[in-house]
Amino acid sequence: MTRIGRGWTGVAALALGSLLLSGCGGGDTAPKASGGKLSGSIAFQTWNLKNDKFTPYFTELIAAFEKANPGTDIKWVDQPAEGYQDKLSADAAAGALPDVVDMGPEAAYTLAQAGVLLDLNKADPQAKGLFLDKAWQAMTFSGLGGGTYGYPWYLNTGPSFFNTALFKKCGLDPAKLPATYDELFTQAETMAKNCSDVSMIVRMPAIENFGEYGVPLMDAAGKQFTYNDAKGVEFVERYKKLYAGRGLTQESLNNLQTKEVEEFKAGRLAYLSGSSYTLNDLKDTAPDIYKNLGIGPRISTAAPNMYIESLVVNATGKNQPLAMAFAKYVTNPANQLAFGKKASVFPSTAGSMDDEYFTKDDGDPATKVRLESAAQVKKAIVWWPPAFSGSTDAETLREQIAQALLGKKTVKEALDASVKYSNDRLASHG
Amino acid sequence: MTTKHKASPPRGGDTALATHRWRVTPWLFLLPGLAVVTLLVLVPFLNTLRLAFTDSMLLRPGDFVGLDNFRRMFDDERFGTALLNSSLYVVCVVPFMVVLPLVLAALLSGAGRLMGFFRTTMYLPVIMSPVIVGLIWTNLLDKQGLVNELLGTLKMVAQPVPFLTDRWLLLFSAMFVTVWTGLGYYMVIYLAALANIDPSLYDAAAMDGAGPVRTFLNVTVPGVRSTMALIGVLSSVAAFRVFGEIYVLTDGTGGVGGGDLTMTMLIQREGTGLQARTGYAGAISLVMSVILGALLIAQLVMQRKQRTF
Repeated sequence: MTRIGRGWTGVAALALGSLLLSGCGGGDTAPKASGGKLSGSIAFQTWNLKNDKFTPYFTELIAAFEKANPGTDIKWVDQPAEGYQDKLSADAAAGALPDVVDMGPEAAYTLAQAGVLLDLNKADPQAKGLFLDKAWQAMTFSGLGGGTYGYPWYLNTGPSFFNTALFKKCGLDPAKLPATYDELFTQAETMAKNCSDVSMIVRMPAIENFGEYGVPLMDAAGKQFTYNDAKGVEFVERYKKLYAGRGLTQESLNNLQTKEVEEFKAGRLAYLSGSSYTLNDLKDTAPDIYKNLGIGPRISTAAPNMYIESLVVNATGKNQPLAMAFAKYVTNPANQLAFGKKASVFPSTAGSMDDEYFTKDDGDPATKVRLESAAQVKKAIVWWPPAFSGSTDAETLREQIAQALLGKKTVKEALDASVKYSNDRLASHG
Repeated sequence: MTTKHKASPPRGGDTALATHRWRVTPWLFLLPGLAVVTLLVLVPFLNTLRLAFTDSMLLRPGDFVGLDNFRRMFDDERFGTALLNSSLYVVCVVPFMVVLPLVLAALLSGAGRLMGFFRTTMYLPVIMSPVIVGLIWTNLLDKQGLVNELLGTLKMVAQPVPFLTDRWLLLFSAMFVTVWTGLGYYMVIYLAALANIDPSLYDAAAMDGAGPVRTFLNVTVPGVRSTMALIGVLSSVAAFRVFGEIYVLTDGTGGVGGGDLTMTMLIQREGTGLQARTGYAGAISLVMSVILGALLIAQLVMQRKQRTF
């Protein structure tokens, strides 16, 4: 039996199971919004949030909603985030997508393309004013006719962390931390000349780094990728030069983010982009590194990157009024602020960033990172194009850059191949 | 004097019933197996065959596109890489899988506690999860791993050997892991085959003054030739479908620049996830099935020729 055959059988089994389960448990999901009063039940899907830290928050959140809306029942489902796209695939293929799902823009783009998600521009046009414009725009897909397919939930961005001990050891001034890509590459080259056992960079650039460097990623219509232009080539050429000067190891050509964090904690890497969470993690798991930590803004030449998470509403759900009301409730300013404080992320609602939690300094290093990151949110952009697949497109880009650095093809040929692959995929999705 | 039981002649109705049972009963026994094979093998295979000629995506049924997927495949540089890697896997791994377990089985076929201990030890990798095996070898072969530390300490290398980053070294490391894992499994099959060789043949060889090597070549090998052919077939199919070893050793990436992608990894990459191109993945699966079919037929033909001679 072929592997794909086995894969499909698995999907078929999941689909059958999901159908059976939905048949058994979905008895009271009929649409109920008569006279504006909500009733019935919906399923709310999150990833990795049912734990000691977040369970009390969500339990209270749901209880408060149900109390304010008697007769409603929110079934909270949480699953491990590992392979979440595969789980979404199985649910979507089986027509069993939960009513409200925690999702990033790339997954939302694919599901919206398949007509599975509700276009909020049509279903709830007033919602736009509640959110930061850049957050709303990040969930608005020009390639799909300008529909908005998720209530923006939280934003995340963060500073750059530097191992200042390595800066001193390798002839760099810890008082002059790099802030732009030009500065980063120049200092990385100096580090490579002076130290053979440590690096400034240990990973290939991802699509958001191209955006931060000022490379145009897609055309205005959102139909074609364009990161193979002269600016994109210039960006990768900097990596190629660094690799030729032994500023990048061969492992770097294939490293994933987890390896980058490991290398930083092991004291072999001088620069790591992170978030407020990273600071606490380093404090707990790498105290020696934490002692010599330098913190600067996220490296960018154009604008810093940020990530967004949203709550999407299933367009085929049987209780859309309740699903929309609940998604809007979870993403309202008060609840976003509460969640932001709990999870060290940033609210996407208009005005929430003015809260003193994001503006008042109490002298604590963690507060400093939070305040700087909050200030960064104001100028940050969600660079990752929603049409750029988080798995295959990103893998292809990394592989092509690696081939260029190994000299198997020119940088231009590598980027052309990557863009062609992504454009073909985009076109084949129709 | 013996008493013969005289069977009473069957009546017409009984004959019909017996005939009916004769026809139906085997099918009833076969039914569960047939149902499983139909549901889990035949239907998915036919579905893959259908998908291969469509532009189907996970969330879109797709339209018939003729041979477009196959044309795309031959323009896809990853397909060439994957086909080469999977083919090399067969060429390099299968001879070891056929010969080494036989040698091991011949050495460990005796009785005694020590033999039992070694047989169990050799079998241990078989019962270990491929992921655990992969993680063990990843840690051993890493730049800062035990093997490089050892080679460095013994001053055998000046720089760490890039077992996990050089395309060919990684591929050969994965082959080594595959052989290490599979030795015990095929050794057990050979042990069963060795038990079927007539002991008098060994006595005759000893009386003729044959040494261990000559006995092995002239008695043991001919005695397990059909088993060797079977293991050749089984290990060829397994080698062409290699996935776990390379997936774990490359952290799921397919190696630097995708240089260690195999056919199954390419199918997995294209055929899973929300953006899965199931039509294209189906076409690659179909090509893989055809190659495996051709490989099996070639081996069967070779076996028949060997029997003829």
